[in-house]
Formats: sequence, structure tokens, C-alpha cells
Amino acid sequence: MPPAIACTGLSKSYGPRQAVQPLELEVEPGTLLGFLGPNGAGKTSVIRILTTILTPDAGAFTVAGVPHDRPAEIRRRVGVLPESAGYAEGQTGEQVLTFFARLYGQSGTQASATARELLDLVGLAERARTLVAGYSRGMRQRLGIARALVNRPEVVFLDEPTLGLDPAGQRQVLQVIGGIARQRGSTVVLSTHLLAEVEEVCDRVVILNAGRVVADGGIDEVARVAAAPRQGRVRLPADSVAAGLRVLSASPEVARIARSEARDEIVVELREGLTPAEAGPRILRALLDADLPVLAVELDRGRLSDAFLTLTADT
Amino acid sequence: MTRLRVVAAQELRDLWLTGRGLPLILAYAVLLSVTSYLVASNRALNFLEQREAVGLTLQVGVGVAALLVLVVAADAISGERERGTLESLLLTPAPRWVLLAGKGLAAMSLWLVAYVVSVPYVWYLARGTGVLGRALVAGLGVGTLIVLFLCSLGLAISTVTGSNRVALSVSFFLLLAAFFPTQLPTAAQSGGVADVLLRVDPVTAGLHYLSELVVRGRPAGEDLGWLVGPIVLAVAAAAAACTVGARMSLRPGRRA
Ligand SMILES: Nc1ncnc2c1ncn2[C@@H]1O[C@H](COP(=O)(O)OP(=O)(O)OP(=O)(O)O)[C@@H](O)[C@H]1O
Ligand SMILES: [Mg+2]
Repeated sequence: MPPAIACTGLSKSYGPRQAVQPLELEVEPGTLLGFLGPNGAGKTSVIRILTTILTPDAGAFTVAGVPHDRPAEIRRRVGVLPESAGYAEGQTGEQVLTFFARLYGQSGTQASATARELLDLVGLAERARTLVAGYSRGMRQRLGIARALVNRPEVVFLDEPTLGLDPAGQRQVLQVIGGIARQRGSTVVLSTHLLAEVEEVCDRVVILNAGRVVADGGIDEVARVAAAPRQGRVRLPADSVAAGLRVLSASPEVARIARSEARDEIVVELREGLTPAEAGPRILRALLDADLPVLAVELDRGRLSDAFLTLTADT
Repeated sequence: MTRLRVVAAQELRDLWLTGRGLPLILAYAVLLSVTSYLVASNRALNFLEQREAVGLTLQVGVGVAALLVLVVAADAISGERERGTLESLLLTPAPRWVLLAGKGLAAMSLWLVAYVVSVPYVWYLARGTGVLGRALVAGLGVGTLIVLFLCSLGLAISTVTGSNRVALSVSFFLLLAAFFPTQLPTAAQSGGVADVLLRVDPVTAGLHYLSELVVRGRPAGEDLGWLVGPIVLAVAAAAAACTVGARMSLRPGRRA
């Protein structure tokens, strides 16, 4: 089976601004890919190139095994929720979906059936006959996802599907997206700012910064490689905190310490290059050697958000 | 072909059920009422003047209908672009010229409805003159050519301009330019260059043919030469619009 997406040397600039640096990317079929990056990283530009809306300055790509010089064929096989997608306000959700299904060549009856099935999938069945003008933001996003699926696409691109949704709305949309990947077997490219949601549903994450891929791999892998956590907390009885501070400030593992006033807690920042697994026992030993009654030593687990911030810090 | 029908049907629904179709036609009917009232309220009409009244009403009808169609056509693509609905359309495998042509057909429906609305006015003004039949037939033919020409220009402009406002103002300017030669003083009209201009401009040539036929009562076949310009340019403009439409992009002016 060919990769769902493969691109080599893809680049794009707008005037003097290079939005996409020569980009290499390969995505296996069935992957739910988290496509991350700060504002202006080039996520939308890459998605538009891969969905034939934008012509790259250089490079080549295939989507669903179809080379880039057959854009109409690619369009037939992908589904897209564009960034800031608008809708015909004067139509009902059902009409919108039926219209798009017909543009993909479905007959009237097929198109109606597709519309009903998808409205059901995204939880809009009850509002099928309501005008889009009366839809909430979350309902519009779900309608947009449904629209991206009318042609049973092999590869689905969702450009910030949870933008502007409340936590419940985000959860609902994420469930739908997870379902698309699992039940329909589609490859999904999910562009977002919300790291927690990537951690929740994605198999793989690509972080883009200033048009370049700065990290690529499984969530844990990226989080570990990019940003071993460097923070931790040491808890001591109130009367031992002062002594604890002295011991820790002398410890070679610790770069910085601060006393947290709220609880009898010392916040430590590890020296660069040390992993929590190395530093933890040594810190504990130093405290115990000084006869301090340690209540707890906690070091943070690797988090994607730290990786994200580290990798995209220089912009 | 199915796709063209699907797009056109969608656009027609949009225009007539939820869009500006009805209000525009209402405004059109009001304008036509005022015009025919003004020309008919002159009690001293003799037959020639009555035919002039018919000709004038037809001209106003075609002119205003052309304006309405142009407004809708100029908004066709630039409006989608501005409302953020264009990208989804471009993402479908429907050929881009089909999207444009479907919208064009819907815009042209405005002309057909406007024409139907003007029939009773023309009938009222033309009663007893014997020109009713030719006025209606020639009005439909000439009007369709002129409106098709302007509609195609509007669609093409809408495709290549970034904003709705620019598309509307450029189109409006072109409309004025196309109608401008009808206002030239007669002396200027007889000059060589002016004559060519009048024959080439589909608006002036078409309206000239119409008035020869209706007002002067010339036989229909006599001045057919005047229709060459309108026919050629209307077809060329429609083809050009489809060609431009085939290269429709999310952001015009960029290699996108
Ligand atoms: N049409 C355009 N004209 C000029 N510059 C553009 C255009 N579109 C994007 N850019 C620039 O290209 C870069 C990448 O933009 P892009 O929209 O792809 O980023 P993004 O990762 O999708 O950002 P966001 O998270 O804000 O949506 C940005 O610097 C942006 O300013
Ligand atoms: Mg974006």
C-alpha cells in the first residue's frame, strides 16, 4: 500500500516570506497525525498544498498514492475541513451536505443518504433541517467535518477543527475524529494548537515551526526527545524546609531552587542534560544523607506541551 | 453536465428563495412602473411617439436588468471568497468553469424574470401600434445578448478580483462605459471611429437595432449587421469567462 501522504522538497513562499521550507514527510495509511505548530508555522499552507488549493514553488508529493500533477484525482480522494470554513447560511445542514455529495457525482438519492448518514455520525441528525444560520460554532465545525467526509475520503485534512469550541465541544469533535480514523480507516491529518487533544487521539505528531519540521514521531518519543522535564517538587516538614534549601542549593543536580509559600514545598529545576530518572535518586540521597525527613520528591513526566514550547521557542 | 445542473439549481435556490432575487425584481418592477407611467401619461401621444415609448421602456428594462445581473455576477465568486465558502467548492472535483457557469446561469435567470415582468408594461404601451410582437421578440433576443455579455464580464471580474467591493466597482464602471456611447451627441455618432465603436459595443449596437425595429418600424432583416457585434462579443465574453473561471483560485493574482 502506498503511503497516504508522501512529499519531498515541498516549499512555498509568499513574496519574500518563506512559509514552507523544503519539507519531507511520509504518512502511513490509517495514521491519525497531529499536525502542530504555533501561529504562522505553515500548517495551513502545507494542507492547502497537499489538497491542491495552493501550488508549491518546488517539490513533489503524492496523496492517497496520486501524484500532484493529477489534482482533480487527488480532490476526489481527500476530504478537507478548511481553516475558517464558511457555510451557505440560507441552507439547512442537510442541503449543504447533499449539494456537496452531488458535486462528487452522487445521484440525488445517494447524496441524501450520505447526508443523513453523516449528520448522524457528527451528532447533527436532529438539526438536519435547521438553517446553518441558526447553528452554533460547534455545530458548524461538526457540519464541516461531515462535509469533509461526503466522498468517503482516504485522507482527511482537518485544519483546526476545535477552534473556538468550549471543552465539551472539543471533546465531542475529538470523539468524532477518533471515530473517523478507527471506523472508516481513513488517514487523518489534524492541525491544532491544543496539545492535550493531540495527546489524547493521535498516533503520531509532527511539529512544524517557521515552515520546518522540528519534531516527528510518537507522542512519548517527541515529548521525551524534545523536552525532558526539568522541574520537580520536594516536600519537607515545615521546620526542615530551611535546611532542605541549603542542601539542595549545594547539590550539583539542581540548577535553581525556589520556595513555594503556599505549602512547605521546594520547587527545583534540574540542571540541563539530566533526566528525571538520573536526578531523582541523587537528590533524594543528598536529602537523606543530611538526615532530613523527606515527605515527597516528585519530578514531572515528559509532556508534549513542554516539547512544543521548547521546539518552537526561537520564534 | 449533471454537475452544471446541480450548481445552477443550488444557485437558483439561493438567489430566489433566500437571496436577493425577489427584492431586486421588486425594485425593477417599481422602476419600470415609474418609467411607463411617465411615458404613458403624456396625453398627446401619436403613433410614433407611442412606439418611442415602447422603445424607451424596452431600453430601460434591458439596462436595469443588465445592472441587476451584473451585481449578482460580480458577487458570484468574490462573494464566496469573502464568505470563506470558496475553498470548499474548489476542493470538490467539479471543474471550476462549471462552478462559474452554474452561477452565471443563475444570474441570467434574473434577466429572464425581469423580461417576463416587463411584458405587461410593453403590452400596455404598445397596444394598437402593431409593434408588440416584434418588440417582445427583439427585446428578448437583444436583451439576452447584452445581458450575457455583461454577465460574463462580471463573472470574469469576480474571479480575478480579491474583494467583493473591487469586483462590484470595476463591473459597475464597465457597465457605465458600455452604456456611455448611447449618450454621445448625434454629430459625434456619425463619425467613422464613433460608428465603429457604436457597432462594436454590444450595448449600443443591440439597442440601436432594437430601436430601428420598434421605433422606426424597419423590417427585422434589414439591420441584422448591427447584431454581429453583440453576438460575437456575447459569445466571446462567455467563453472568456469560462476560461478565466477554469483558473479560479483561492487568492487571485498569486500562483495558487
Ligand atoms: N496569502 C498569504 N499571503 C502572504 N503571506 C501568507 C499568506 N498565507 C500565509 N502567509 C504567511 O505564511 C506563513 C504560514 O502561514 P500559515 O497560515 O500556513 O500558518 P499556520 O501554521 O496555519 O498558522 P495558524 O496556526 O495561525 O493558522 C505565515 O507567516 C503567514 O503570515
Ligand atoms: Mg492555519
